[in-house]
Amino acid sequence: MATTATITLSSDIVSDTLKFSTSATLTKAGGATALTDAVGLSRKTVAGGHAQYTLFDGDAYGDGSHKVYLKNTSTNNTEYFIVEINSEQMGRLYAGDWAFFPWEANADTNDIKIDPSANDMTLEYMLFYE
Amino acid sequence: MATTTAALTISSSDLVGDALSLSTSNTLYKTGTTTGLDQTTGLAHVYLTAVTNIDLFGAIIDAPAYEGKAHWVYICNKSEDANEYARISIGDKVIGLLYAGDWMWMPWDTAADTDAGNKHADIELAPSVATGMRIEYAMIHEGFEHATAV
Repeated sequence: MATTATITLSSDIVSDTLKFSTSATLTKAGGATALTDAVGLSRKTVAGGHAQYTLFDGDAYGDGSHKVYLKNTSTNNTEYFIVEINSEQMGRLYAGDWAFFPWEANADTNDIKIDPSANDMTLEYMLFYE
Repeated sequence: MATTTAALTISSSDLVGDALSLSTSNTLYKTGTTTGLDQTTGLAHVYLTAVTNIDLFGAIIDAPAYEGKAHWVYICNKSEDANEYARISIGDKVIGLLYAGDWMWMPWDTAADTDAGNKHADIELAPSVATGMRIEYAMIHEGFEHATAV
């Protein structure tokens, strides 16, 4: 069983084109055993703007090599989700933006929360966990 | 105007009954606009030989000018030893562990203080071993205020 995640980034910001691609096989912590559990590709519409919503509860997952995928499905480029981890503001996902990062639910408080900037915004998400 | 595109593909033939094949791509813009990001650290590569927790992009200063603006962070653990990981934190809150070969891509607000602990949201990295770990990283952004030299 294998799940792979690949990022491809290209940019003409600098004179020499910045371009790279990296693939990772998603494994459990400390070894080559593949992650086998997932919260399937999901969508969440938050009705109220600035109504914080707990996407993943740290209390529900143990330590491990979890991976999180998030995407703001909005097409309005002024709309964003603030992403928080354990009450620390990570960053903003504007329309069409996506993120993919490891998550260690190492404490009950290590929740991942989202806070939409407008009403009825929809987030697409997926969690790979062990 | 610079154009930067970040694309993601996640695939699995057997994680779930229906083969997983997810692809998405976005162009990186300045906050709330369709103007492309025009600053970057470039793709950097370091060899860390201590387990010390470090600020990967420098420390956020008080009242940073670019707080809440667009910053995108890429980090990859280039180790080939499956047991080795880099612990990634923001402020003093652990995000997760990047094991050998793992990478991450996240937005970063460079927030000064959003946590009751009065910690700035620095991106921090701590290798799990002192025997040497290669880390590749980059930031693409619309501005980052550096600390004044002392």
